[in-house]
Amino acid sequence: MSKTIKTYPRFTLPQRIEHVVMLLSFTILGLTGLPQRYPSNGFAASLVSLLGGVENTRNIHHLAAIALMLVTAYHILVIGYKLYVLRVRATMLPSFQDAKDAWQAFTYNLRLTKKPPKMGRYTYEEKVEYWALVWGTVIMGITGFMMWNPITTTRYFPGEFIPAAKAAHSAEAVLAVLAVLIWHMYSVHIKRFNKAMWTGDLTEEEMQHEHPLELAEIKAGEGDAEVDQKTLRKRQMIYFPIAGVLATLMLAGVYIFVQSEETAITTYIPKVEESLPVYAPQTPTPFP
Amino acid sequence: MPLEKNKKQRQKWIVLGFALVFGLLAIFLLGTAENVSAAPLQVDYAKGNKCTDCHAEPDRTLTLDSGEILYTTIEMDVFAASAHGEADLACEDCHTDAGLRHFPHRGETPKNLREFSLQMYESCQECHQEEYDKTIDSMHGQALEAGDQNAAICTDCHDPHEQHRLTNEETGELLPEARLHIPETCARCHSTIYDVYAESVHGAALTQESNLDVPTCIDCHGVHDIADPTTASYRLQSPNICADCHSDSERMDKYDISTNIFDTYLADFHGTSVLLFEQRSPDQEVNKPVCFDCHGVHDIYSPDNPEHGLAIKENLLDTCQQCHPDVTANFSDAWMSHYVPDPEHFPIVYFVDLFYKILIPLVIGGMLIFVGSDIFRRVTNRRKSGAKS
Repeated sequence: MSKTIKTYPRFTLPQRIEHVVMLLSFTILGLTGLPQRYPSNGFAASLVSLLGGVENTRNIHHLAAIALMLVTAYHILVIGYKLYVLRVRATMLPSFQDAKDAWQAFTYNLRLTKKPPKMGRYTYEEKVEYWALVWGTVIMGITGFMMWNPITTTRYFPGEFIPAAKAAHSAEAVLAVLAVLIWHMYSVHIKRFNKAMWTGDLTEEEMQHEHPLELAEIKAGEGDAEVDQKTLRKRQMIYFPIAGVLATLMLAGVYIFVQSEETAITTYIPKVEESLPVYAPQTPTPFP
Repeated sequence: MPLEKNKKQRQKWIVLGFALVFGLLAIFLLGTAENVSAAPLQVDYAKGNKCTDCHAEPDRTLTLDSGEILYTTIEMDVFAASAHGEADLACEDCHTDAGLRHFPHRGETPKNLREFSLQMYESCQECHQEEYDKTIDSMHGQALEAGDQNAAICTDCHDPHEQHRLTNEETGELLPEARLHIPETCARCHSTIYDVYAESVHGAALTQESNLDVPTCIDCHGVHDIADPTTASYRLQSPNICADCHSDSERMDKYDISTNIFDTYLADFHGTSVLLFEQRSPDQEVNKPVCFDCHGVHDIYSPDNPEHGLAIKENLLDTCQQCHPDVTANFSDAWMSHYVPDPEHFPIVYFVDLFYKILIPLVIGGMLIFVGSDIFRRVTNRRKSGAKS
């Protein structure tokens, strides 16, 4: 008598795949990056060992960074498509209501308010995560570029930008990892194991509990309106060329990021002084 | 009896012949021996004959097959003042060859001076086993083993007839006077390196001002167990050698030199890499610099030295370009010159650090408070529903 429970779609398959790529690259970046921030830590040393040495660790870090850059570029193109072609509402944009919701949730938790906030498609918790990730990716991307390409950077900016970029990159990394460990872990794994990012759906009960406004909208048929085929085609004809150019530019950007310079010689050249003859006896003292 | 007479006559000839041969042999042997004319034929220590009967005489020489001259006079007052003399060592303690007990000395004369030294230094292990073994395992010992006869052996650095005590007898510490002259000893074979060292900030202080705070050769290379300094592993661990002195505030404060050069190096990309390399694979070649790649090996100069000092921007840029050939002038500021960033030196780095020192506790603290409030709600919910039921 298994009655199928009514579910509501939350994340599409491409979104879930995007999340997996993001998750993997973020984890790899953290695991290969943090040991470089704390090199004298014994655990860092073993991790670097496990990854086949510091050069290998850096190569893996760079590969994961490329994956993150590509998935970011993809995300930008998809956002553009959704906002321009499909004209969906920008439900991820933060608003004053989010601050009010957060405050209400906080006072509710402290038993100062009777009712929890009623929230829509994306709650303040999710927006904090999303925008933290956007902020983090921008900071890590810019500072990462500077460290990956210090010669190019110092052609236009003061040399001090490089250690400053390193300081920002490694501090931001700590912030990002801690934020994910605390905020993300708690809200989707500990508080309640939320499987929506894997199954794609939420049950009616879950919707009622977490996104009551969205559920009400869906039931009232007030969701995003379907675009008719004709308008869709028209908008696609405009968006696709723009997206093509944008994609090319972003891919070129990634290429420049990775390929713009050969920072240092790869093999060690002993100094000139070291090539002095090692055995050069003094003229023997005259015979006594 | 003619037959018997014949026999007697023959015996006479044989005796004469033998006498002649022995005589000639004796003359020959005497002639080839040292240029000594009137000497006892047999050395007998029991009878009071001593090595010094001959060898204390001035200007005694022995010309070897190679044409080299072996000086065989021992200056007894010098020897008496030496460590071996003070310890009352006798000649035969080292010169153990039984042939020397005879006069003229028996046995083969060495063909050249080096061969003689190479025969003799093995005696050192009788008393100095530890140092001897270390030397055998050292760079010098390995070179000798590989057939380089010029590789230093004990006696090249320590003339056994003249060597004074180098260490304090009780503490075993090197005597200041001995420290002062170490580089001169190494210079006997490594004169070009000595010349470079003597010009350096360390060498000049030692040789010109007798300053004993500076490193001599052995502080970086070791004494008897001198390792090959050109290996990857030596290079990788070399920053620790520099740090030994440069992290010692007692020594550095005198000269107003910063003691956090090692920490600031490790905090930099280069130092971090080298440290991680060292931990992971100590024998690997690294393209990241260690101290001496920028500061020089033996030619280390003060940072303010106009020609070589790294505090002068052009010199620093030149140094960067050794490994980063394409860089422009700004690039050299990417290296923070061992400064810990503060509002004066590298302010951007300082303020970035400060920004995150505030941002991280703020964000993470805020998150923890929020998560804490949620946990509080859930725990109290459970308690209430528990109380209800």
